[in-house]
Amino acid sequence: MTSRAALVVGIALVAVALAIAAAPRSETQGERVARLAAELRCPVCQGLSVEDSPSDTARAMRALVEQRVAEGRSDDAIRAEFRQAYGDWIFLSPPLLDPRGLVWLLPAAAILAGLALVATRLGRAPPAPAPTADQLALLRERARLEDAIE
Amino acid sequence: MTWGDVGAGALRAALPLALWGIVSAAYAARERDVRLLGSARWSALAAFALVLLAAVSMAAALLGHDMSIRYVAENNARATPAYFSAISLWAALEGSILLWTTILAGAVTYVAWRSTRSLPRLATTALAILFAMLSFFLALVVTPAADPFVRIDPAPLDGRGPNPLLQDHWLMGLHPPLVYLGYVLFSIPFAYAVASLILGESGDRWIVATRRSALVAWALLGVGIVAGAWWSYAVLGWGGYWAWDPVENAAIMPWLAATAYLHSVMVEEKRRMLRSWNLALVIGAFSLTILGTFLTRSGVVNSVHSFTQSAIGPLLLGYLAAVLAFSFGLLLWRLPRLAETGQIGAPLSREAIFLFQNVLFVAATAAVLLGTLYPLAVEAISGDQLSIGSPYFDRVEVPIALALLFLMGIGPQLPWHGASRATLERQFAGPVATAGAGAAVALLLGLRGAAPVLVWALAAFVVATVVQEMWRGVRARRMLHGESPATAFASLFRRSGRRYGGYVVHVGIAVIAVAIAMSQALSVRAEATLAPGSSMEVAGRTVTFLGLRDVAEARRQQVVADLRLSDGGELSTALSFYPNATSAIGSPGIRSTAGDDLYAILAAYDARGHAWATIQVRVIPLVSWLWIGGLIVGIGALIAALPAAKASERRRAVVLGTPRGAPVPAAEAK
Repeated sequence: MTSRAALVVGIALVAVALAIAAAPRSETQGERVARLAAELRCPVCQGLSVEDSPSDTARAMRALVEQRVAEGRSDDAIRAEFRQAYGDWIFLSPPLLDPRGLVWLLPAAAILAGLALVATRLGRAPPAPAPTADQLALLRERARLEDAIE
Repeated sequence: MTWGDVGAGALRAALPLALWGIVSAAYAARERDVRLLGSARWSALAAFALVLLAAVSMAAALLGHDMSIRYVAENNARATPAYFSAISLWAALEGSILLWTTILAGAVTYVAWRSTRSLPRLATTALAILFAMLSFFLALVVTPAADPFVRIDPAPLDGRGPNPLLQDHWLMGLHPPLVYLGYVLFSIPFAYAVASLILGESGDRWIVATRRSALVAWALLGVGIVAGAWWSYAVLGWGGYWAWDPVENAAIMPWLAATAYLHSVMVEEKRRMLRSWNLALVIGAFSLTILGTFLTRSGVVNSVHSFTQSAIGPLLLGYLAAVLAFSFGLLLWRLPRLAETGQIGAPLSREAIFLFQNVLFVAATAAVLLGTLYPLAVEAISGDQLSIGSPYFDRVEVPIALALLFLMGIGPQLPWHGASRATLERQFAGPVATAGAGAAVALLLGLRGAAPVLVWALAAFVVATVVQEMWRGVRARRMLHGESPATAFASLFRRSGRRYGGYVVHVGIAVIAVAIAMSQALSVRAEATLAPGSSMEVAGRTVTFLGLRDVAEARRQQVVADLRLSDGGELSTALSFYPNATSAIGSPGIRSTAGDDLYAILAAYDARGHAWATIQVRVIPLVSWLWIGGLIVGIGALIAALPAAKASERRRAVVLGTPRGAPVPAAEAK
């Protein structure tokens, strides 16, 4: 297999696998309970979620989520019930569409700014004339040997 | 005289020595005074001996249950076993600061005796700075708020015992000292960086001089973090190992910043770029170690680690402010001397990948810092209470981590300056094909969702690049020197340990990434209330509840649930009741295999008749590979930190009178 064929096959395999893995599928009740419970903070723990915490309180809250899911309530209705009882504090991540959602925006902004900064400084060095394949193999072997011996 | 008197006296005697060390080292550097340097070196050694004596005294007082010392009375009981008594040295704030000070004194002594022999100005100035840090911590440990040897009168008959969570697992003897070693050893690169700024040096001498201590600090902190994750998994009973708890965040932040630093210094060494950036990174990483200590010891944020809260918060905050103001002030002052001479090449050059990697690592660090402090800021501004936990951190950090895994695969394969198309094809054909296979394996294992499948693909990609590099290195050595494959493989590590050790670290990180993806995505949980003799099913396995028994020990009462697994193996999990804890402490029963862990906890039980118990069982795939991956990272870092073979061979050649260069085959290649 040539290099190029290996590259194409590899990239295609990853793409297909990702497409299959990310394909939307219906959630089981158990998965829904786990997802909702992971959003909730265990009120008597230090930052553990209701899904993770083995404490009695967390187990009782998880049982409530399970019951509400079994009753057929919507995600938002279940969340609203907990919000009413505890306030926003009960959710382990802050609301996105809210001034407090700034915490979501800042890391993304920082990455974009950093990448932009690097990008503006790229490629200033004049490109070396492209070496031929033979020269390249020679150079690479030499660099490798030097490194290996270094 | 008791151990308490010895320890208290030793700490008070060490402080003037450290203060004298600042003066003598600073003057020795300035005036090139060898006698003063000698004085500074002996001060370092004497201060270290005294602080070590204080730490040993505390350990002896703990082992001897000397309840007249408040720290012992609060963190020890007569029934505490010897091992947990000794490691109670770091069970609470005062002892932890004592441990910190001891390690710092050791670091000062190391620099004094190892690096200042011929009175180099850089190392001697750095020594003065290290003495200044040591003075701060020695002054801290003798203030009443942090003095470990404060008396209690009358002495209680028995102490309260260590926090139950800290007397449950042997890993408590490993995790905190490793993290502290990592934290404190960052002081050495920091001190050299500041010394370099003070002296107005523009080169990378400070980087070269502290390469090994930076790497060792990074590795110890990293291994310490993994050990902490393991402890959390084995003790806290929630089947997880990382909760984005503030103390976990405090440990991971300097590690992330230091990872950026370890890579960006290579750009400075090869391309003469990023001088001020590297200085800023090392100052940042060091400041984050102090910030972490402040956050978790001052009670500002709640954490499972806030075992004690104390009045030293403001002192630590003052220290942090002083460090930041002083070092960034110096950096700004010297900025004109730090002009860049090198240039970045093409987007697909090694230096460009290092820069992207740095952006991502710094962003990852900043996001952890932001998520940790944000609830405090919001509450201060609006009074709203807000929680930021794993849903936030996972969503922000996982994409960054995936991008970093990708860069980890491509960076080492790219030449400096830039790569041609032919190079790219040759370097990446095999690894990309392997990535495809990795993605297919992930699907076959039943993984769904883009992130875990991508982790498998990228981990396979990274491992393939490393295997390819090693294969080519071995082939080159065999062709040139006619070495056997095994000899050639060994000499890669012996001669280019920094490079090949780094590859081993990359493999360890890939293993950790797969272990995290699998254990997060495919873990199964079940809970059942069972009568003795009845069973539950989880992930195709039967777990039979055999019954409950009471176990009485001097330091605790336990209720133990015995379980039998479908393969005949037995497992027990317990709830422990300590006299100094209000709620029961769970001890999970864990059966580890290479494929998965069966993790059982006793969630509730019938206290009257032992007629039933609620058992929670999780089956967690590949989780033990997380600890193994940590070990691989540690081994790789060790290989990279060991001195390369060539230096000693050359020295031998010089000693034996062999003409230099004759035995060095590089000549042939050139």
